[in-house]
Amino acid sequence: MNALQAHYFDGKRARRHPVSVLFAGGRVKVIGRDVDGDFDATRVRVSPRIGNTPRWLYLPDGGACVAADNDFVDRFARESGFARGLHTLESRPAFAVLAVALVVFLLWMLIDRGVPLAVERIAEQIPLAAEMTLGEQTLSGMDHYVLRASGIPPARQAALRAQFDQMVRAAGETAPRRLEFRASPAIGANAFALPAGVVVITDDLVKLAADDRELLAVLAHELGHVRHRHTMRRLLESSATALIVAGVTGDIASTTSLAASAPALLLQTKYSRDNEREADRYAVEVLRRSGIDPRHFVSILQRVEHESSKGGALPGFLASHPSTKEREALAREAPAGGSR
Amino acid sequence: MTESTESTVQGRTIRPEFTGSAGEYFRIWIVNLFLTLVTLGIYSAWAKVRKKKYFYGSTRLDGDSFDYFGSPKAILKGRIVAFVAFVLYAFVGELYPASRYAFWGLAALFLPWLIVRAFTFNARNSAYRGLRFDFAATAMDAAWVYIGKLAVVAITLGIAFPWFMARQKAFVVSHHAFGTTRFDCELSARRYFGIYIRAGLILSAVGAVLGGLSALLLPKLEQFGPLAWVALLLPAILLYVGYAISYAYMQSRTTNLLWANTRGPGLRFESTLAAAGLARLYVGNLLAVACSAGLLIPWAVVRTLRYRIENFAMIVEEEIVHEASPALAPVGAAGQELGEIFNLDLGL
Repeated sequence: MNALQAHYFDGKRARRHPVSVLFAGGRVKVIGRDVDGDFDATRVRVSPRIGNTPRWLYLPDGGACVAADNDFVDRFARESGFARGLHTLESRPAFAVLAVALVVFLLWMLIDRGVPLAVERIAEQIPLAAEMTLGEQTLSGMDHYVLRASGIPPARQAALRAQFDQMVRAAGETAPRRLEFRASPAIGANAFALPAGVVVITDDLVKLAADDRELLAVLAHELGHVRHRHTMRRLLESSATALIVAGVTGDIASTTSLAASAPALLLQTKYSRDNEREADRYAVEVLRRSGIDPRHFVSILQRVEHESSKGGALPGFLASHPSTKEREALAREAPAGGSR
Repeated sequence: MTESTESTVQGRTIRPEFTGSAGEYFRIWIVNLFLTLVTLGIYSAWAKVRKKKYFYGSTRLDGDSFDYFGSPKAILKGRIVAFVAFVLYAFVGELYPASRYAFWGLAALFLPWLIVRAFTFNARNSAYRGLRFDFAATAMDAAWVYIGKLAVVAITLGIAFPWFMARQKAFVVSHHAFGTTRFDCELSARRYFGIYIRAGLILSAVGAVLGGLSALLLPKLEQFGPLAWVALLLPAILLYVGYAISYAYMQSRTTNLLWANTRGPGLRFESTLAAAGLARLYVGNLLAVACSAGLLIPWAVVRTLRYRIENFAMIVEEEIVHEASPALAPVGAAGQELGEIFNLDLGL
């Protein structure tokens, strides 16, 4: 019978010995000029076949043989079905094509279904008390850096608060919601929701609105962020995104880190748009219940967009919010609220 | 490029050879990715070992390839520890920002130990000609470098950074061993300062050109209409190219210097990386990976590795038979995995 041509290393000194390896009757014989070994075949461990890399036979005496003839080794290796299957998968181009399709499908399922579902479930488990701490801390942090005391007259603030509270009741929210007024040259005309039910509106936005119903529409949208715990979900989503991107681009991160940060940005803006859509749907529902036409939401959005469109708009896939056109369609679809 | 050994008066020059191919690695990579996704990340530890075994087995030096024995289970344990630490850091840090300081303090304390464990795990699981490598430094040695010398960098507001990098790299190389064969590395901090200053100048030159370009483009942004984002993206791309050139310059010069100053018994090393070659690789890789939606990642990885390996040489001045170091205890993988998830650059 023919022998496997190999190199033997004794594991004690880095010296190469050309040897012949014979497999016969449950024994493995290693024979060379100054090597003569005879081992129990069940105690010889064979390295898995990976591409065309040489195979190692680890011998019970601490030595090892390495051989280039993978097919020969395969005839004697006692490898598990899984190890053999893995090599079969890796060696056929057809499987590679199939694997690409499956990876794309699985990634899409993970990004579009798996992560949002898991994030929603986990966000529900986070105690409200923890969220409260986070909300108050964020507000005091922002008060320190970007927010100033509001210049809106107290009477006007009180009037808006009363309408806000009425809307919160109409929405059927039982947990407390609080409206805060702040001035902020840095942020401009905007409103934002903090965890724990705090909604902040800037003086610029109050002044920009032509009608209180427009302001209530924006506040309804922010209440949607509070209702669906979007701050918590954004936190979880960014962690999940980091893990997915690290998993996929893992071994290139060190050579071209931009290649890893760009997809992370795309994923995060996707989740951000999804959250905005959810808040939009909530807003439309709440406005309908409060008898406010959702089209007021679109008119204030258009006014804000007009104010801030000094530069060019970002393309859709880079935007953090859905396009105003899309949101207009949503508002128009909704049954218009009657009286107001 | 084929493997070659040239005998000269100074010794025998051995150039390693990379026998892997992008096509072969692509098939391994995609199967790894698929199984990692199906098992929700658990298989990633096995995938890592398979990838390393492929790269080690494809690297031949003087007729023999390298071998990697890292245990997937040890790596999985390390990854779970790293994952839990990451989640705790992300969440507790967000809810109680003050806890971040405590976390960083703790991390700084653990850092030297983690670094030693990471290098030891990798070295002891790497073998050549049946002999394992080793990393022989104590956590105290590492603390002296990574806490003591890093503190000097902080005190000098970063000016001492090139000095720190030189000392840190010399520390890593000179504590590595092949069997009982120790390596010795001494680096001149002065040369490191020179390299970092020139890399900084390259970056500033690119920055100045970009500043001019932006000043020219931005006021005319409205003329571009719906394509305005292209005008915004262009300087960003150029900035990346400038960064890649500066980084490639720094990488190639420091790596070449490192190997030129490393010795073993009867051994010298040589590295001939070129800044232009590395910069072309980085920029080409980014373009290829971006345009192929990631499918060319294996190609980019393989060609980068091949370039690095083929620009390395070992010069044997005196033939010595290297011997195994007696009884190396196995080491857990937690250090290495923690380092990877927090993006510590532990490599050379």
